[in-house]
Amino acid sequence: MVTNLNYAELARAGKKPAGQDLPELRLALLSDAATQLFVPLLRELFRRHGIRLEVYEAPFAAVELEVFNPSSALYRFQPEMIVILNATQALRSTYFQQGDTGAALAAEVEERASGIWEAIRGNCSALVIQSSYVMPYERLFGNYDLKHADSLYDAVAEINRGLCRRAREHKNVLINDVEAVASWVGRRTWFDERFWDLAKSFCANEHLPAVAQNITRIALAARGRGIKCVILDLDNTLWGGVVGDDGVSGIQISAHGDGEAFHRFQFFLLALKRRGILLCVCSKNEHAAAIKPFEEHPEMVLHKEDITIFVANWENKAENIKRIREALDIGYDSIAFLDDNPFERNLVRSILPDVVVPELPEDPADYVKYLAELNLFETTAFSQEDSSRADLYRTEFERRASVAAFASFDEYLASLEMRICVARFEPSRLGRIAQLLQRSNQFNLTTHRYNQAECEKMMLDADCIPLYASLRDRFGDHGLISIIVARRVQAEGVLDITDWLMSCRVLTRGVEECLMNHMVAEAARLHLKAVCGHYIPTAKNAMVKEFFGRFGFEKFEETPQGCTHWRLSVADYRYPKHYIQAEMEEAALAAESGQ
Amino acid sequence: MTDTDLTKRLTDVFHRTFDDDRLTLSRTMVAADVEDWDSLTHINLIVEIEREFGIKFTTREIAGLTNVGELMDLISRKAGLIA
Repeated sequence: MVTNLNYAELARAGKKPAGQDLPELRLALLSDAATQLFVPLLRELFRRHGIRLEVYEAPFAAVELEVFNPSSALYRFQPEMIVILNATQALRSTYFQQGDTGAALAAEVEERASGIWEAIRGNCSALVIQSSYVMPYERLFGNYDLKHADSLYDAVAEINRGLCRRAREHKNVLINDVEAVASWVGRRTWFDERFWDLAKSFCANEHLPAVAQNITRIALAARGRGIKCVILDLDNTLWGGVVGDDGVSGIQISAHGDGEAFHRFQFFLLALKRRGILLCVCSKNEHAAAIKPFEEHPEMVLHKEDITIFVANWENKAENIKRIREALDIGYDSIAFLDDNPFERNLVRSILPDVVVPELPEDPADYVKYLAELNLFETTAFSQEDSSRADLYRTEFERRASVAAFASFDEYLASLEMRICVARFEPSRLGRIAQLLQRSNQFNLTTHRYNQAECEKMMLDADCIPLYASLRDRFGDHGLISIIVARRVQAEGVLDITDWLMSCRVLTRGVEECLMNHMVAEAARLHLKAVCGHYIPTAKNAMVKEFFGRFGFEKFEETPQGCTHWRLSVADYRYPKHYIQAEMEEAALAAESGQ
Repeated sequence: MTDTDLTKRLTDVFHRTFDDDRLTLSRTMVAADVEDWDSLTHINLIVEIEREFGIKFTTREIAGLTNVGELMDLISRKAGLIA
């Protein structure tokens, strides 16, 4: 993650000795710039990937001396990889000193490079990692530079094209595209000519880590590391909106307007799939609802056949990812998980630390740009098989299925320090409450669409207990996530839960358990003997059909339309365990003191 | 900025750059007195000083320094101009 690397920190960390027990990588650095500052950076970056780097630094600007001499220190070192790093500053002085035309210079540099690569191949089996040249900042002819074959500017562009063309013919050569790294940050800050003049330093200190990072990624990819599979969330990741609530026609995925960001993101993913990256889905949804856009939405870019494994259920995502990994039989460190929800990201990070879980930018318009910057999909080869790999895997997975229990999920929940605040409806919250009542479809037991005036009436009714709950954890505030309306029927000794809805984003982390415990305790406090609950089926709320049954309620009535009515004796309730601290009293006090 | 201020902040920079908390600065100190202080770690030092004091040295200034005393005078002159 190029932008997060701090030069000074990295350099300091790289001076500490790496663990001797780590597997070794022998890497030689050849350059016409000073390489000394790179060494600690490379050492630290490789250490972070569990590799102990042994470095050989060739003497300054001695590339030819080392590679053409079969008994040089370079070959005695027996490198696995040889990094050749060429500085535009060095090229510039050659250009001016020789007085060659740009075209002649380009031809000479290419010829020289391929001579070096061949010499290396003749003397050892090391992989060569050849840099591209950073485009110079000066343009002698202004915009006309590119029309004029003799300019340095055009010569560098030509050299880069030539190096790449020739590298295609050399199996032992990979390109380290330093120009791409430099143009990302900009030539304006890339070069610090003072330090080139004083010490032949490659670029400004702050950008050295990005070069080292690029080398590390190539080397890791050459060692077979790299992302092979992307696991995707659906709602607000692959499309805008929540398909379970908004329906297939309500999600944003069209090529224009508010869906364009998602459209672009899907095209990017499709291109990855064609490149051989497996795409999987892991979504908290009803399976039938989640698959529908893939089958029916005319503007979806990704189709069902593009997805190797499709998992949509209400279980925790780490467990689902574990199952996907088993089925694909790949390492956790070759999986990237993309999800707009920070809770899910943190859950997966903490339970499966090897899975690569990038933060996603808040705005979906930035998804592709952000992922491009991370450069997660480095590879060192591409073949016909790669492009059909996704299909092979899909058939393989259909043969197998596995379920694995997850021991540390409880630990994860405990570590979240979740705190729930349950409070009676209050005037300042009525707008948001009414909004949730209108919108919520999936986790909604009775789907009564009360408006704001009706909510206010309930708020003022002494026999009514209209509650809202908000949730916080150590990662942030989730806001208002649940509404429960209950009615005290004193004559029958019953607390009657007429409404219960929740945001699906906070499922399976104990919120239901915490709130049910709260409701039963409330009934006990009011000296009521029983709690009743109801379920009214709609097209979208199948997931809560058995909600009350889960807590030991008995179904005492079922209508032909599928409505069910449930009853629980307060004395029989077994309070289930959860990891949420309730803040009922505090909230009540706060509400009073605020008035 | 007082002289003690400058000495304290500069000492911190030296400690960070050379990863050695025992370094004590004196005006007559030269590169040879500090392990690891060579032309390349000198870049690290200069970059850290520039960031710490919000100044930028010219190539000639960097090349012309002969001891810590001159470095202190230079910082104090450049930082003084900004403040």
